This record gives sequence, structure tokens and C-alpha cells, in this order.
Amino acid sequence: MGTPYHEDPIRREELIARYLLRKLDSEAADAFEAHYLACSDCFEEIRATELLICGLGGSVRQDRQNEGIRILRFARTSQLTGTSPELSVLDRIVRTPGDTRVLIDLSGVSRIDSAGLGMLMRCYTHAVQNAGVLKLLNPSSQVKRVLSMTHIDSVVPTFEDEGAALQSFQTLAPRTEAEN
Amino acid sequence: MNLSGWDLEKLRLRLRCRVGHALGFACPDIEDVVQETVRRFLELRRDDRLATAEAGGAFLQGICRNVIFEYRRRIFRDAPMPEGAPEPPSRTLPEADLFELREAIEEGMRQLSPRDRQVLHLFYLQEEPVERILESMSLTEANFRVVLCRAKERFRQIYQRSCNKSKAAAIG
Repeated sequence: MGTPYHEDPIRREELIARYLLRKLDSEAADAFEAHYLACSDCFEEIRATELLICGLGGSVRQDRQNEGIRILRFARTSQLTGTSPELSVLDRIVRTPGDTRVLIDLSGVSRIDSAGLGMLMRCYTHAVQNAGVLKLLNPSSQVKRVLSMTHIDSVVPTFEDEGAALQSFQTLAPRTEAEN
Repeated sequence: MNLSGWDLEKLRLRLRCRVGHALGFACPDIEDVVQETVRRFLELRRDDRLATAEAGGAFLQGICRNVIFEYRRRIFRDAPMPEGAPEPPSRTLPEADLFELREAIEEGMRQLSPRDRQVLHLFYLQEEPVERILESMSLTEANFRVVLCRAKERFRQIYQRSCNKSKAAAIG
């Protein structure tokens, strides 16, 4: 009996992606593990897919400062539009529970549309609802114009200088239970 | 037949992936679990308990699963009951593993066109069915295969380069 894993590369990729994302049922995962432990070809495919997924998910980089401030930067020039992958990555990162002091570096964002603005506002709302704060850093002139036109810059604090942005987090008075 | 140093290293690499997937890549005891699995595997192999070479994967999987079960039982027996739900295992490679590969991964990503990146994102991260991706991106299945194979080839090369370094280290 031939192995089903080598018949169709697309089906194998689907299987590998589901395995890496832990979406395979235990029986299928067990069978696949028994296979790749003895199959160099499939193991190589798993590792290559793993790196590819890391690359895809790595379009937004996260740096953490001492004060628990999370800085999000775009690894390459990106667009925050309805179809851009960065949007869902950003959403997933910002909505991580416990991370409510967030600075988004927009210097790598060349274009933003209503979907991108909506996402920024959802991130902002999430932070505020969790007693946190979200700020924006260094938007390009095009993005700055859109933020200004929509008056988002009057709601979400926007900075040109990273040092000043970080400083502004430190000067925030800690919230009391009553304020929350 | 004896296993060479590189054969053993290859075995360890696969087991590390298998164990990391089960326990999370942040687990501090991955190496111990891998080592115990290799030890038992070599012992049973020495005693000719492996019926056929084709059964090697399933055999190794069985041993590895037992070692993982034993490890989990030990951890839960020794540790106090957790107050909340335990953290799910990390889904991705640890930062340390990624550190050296980071540049290569970014270079690989730069070589992808925005459209290819979007297709791959839909396929791997959004887990959209292939049929829907073909429809939404106006692609034929052949186009999709090309996008997938081209991207995979780049990342396979990155992995092979990192593997060659491990091989050089294993051979010494």
C-alpha cells in the first residue's frame, strides 16, 4: 500500500499546515507523526512550512520595553487595507489578553483604508476597555492625512518621536479601581 | 547496522519537532524527552525488536508517545495543581531557533510578491479552502501550485542550509 502523503503536494501542505496549527485530530496526527519520523522528505516539508508560516506571521514584529509596553513594527513596507494580511496579524497580536500598553509604529505603512482605520479603532477600543492605552508612532504623510481627516488623531495619541511616545506611557498615572 | 553520528542527529531533529509539537517548544525538558526516546529506540534496535525497517517510524512514534506520557504523568504528579488552565503549548519555533534564521526568513519573504504572500497567507494562516482561494484570487489550480511550490522551494533551501550547519557540527 502506497503512502497517501506523497500523492498530492497540495493535500500534503494542507495536512502539514493543520498539523502545525494543531488542528488535526489525534488519530490523523498520530499517523502523520509515525510517517514523518521515518520520512526525510516529509520532515523537510514540515520544517520548510514552519519557516514559511513564521515568515508570514512575522510581518508584524513585536518588541517589548521594560515598562511592559509592547511596540509593534512592520517588518517591511505594508498596507493596512482590507485585503492585506498584516491586518489580521495586527488584530491577533493586539487582542492578546494582558497586553494593553501598545505602541504601533506606522512608519512602515504606506497606505491605509477604512478597513485599516477600523482595525486601529478596534485595537484602541480593546486597549481602553482593558484599562490600557494604545498610541501611534511615526505615520507617513499619507497615513497622517487620513488620520487627520477622520479625526482619529484626536482620539488616538500620535507621536513622531519614539522616545517621547515611550515617555508618555511612563507619565500616565496608574488607574485606580474607581476609574476602571 | 550501526547509525552514524549524522543519522542520530537527523533522528534527534525529527524527534525534537515531534516532542516540541506535543509539549510546546518552550518546554525546558524537550532534550531530555528526545534523549530518552533515542536511548530506548537504540536499545530495542540492538535487541532486534524492530521487525521491519518500514515499521521504524511507527515504532519510534510509539516509543516517543510513551516517553511523553510518562513525562506528563511525572510533571502532574510532582507539580501542585495549577490554579488556572495551563498555557497551551507554543505553536511556533522558539525565538532562539528563529534568531539565526530570521534574516534568511525575511529575505525569503522579500522575494515573494505581495500577491503570492496574500495567497500563502490565506492558505496557511486563514486556512481558507483551496477552492475559495482560487475563486477569490482568480487563480487556476496550476497557478496555485506554482505559488506554493516556488515559496516552499525557497524555504526548503533555507532549512537545508541550516541543516548543513548542523551536519557539519555533528560530523565535527
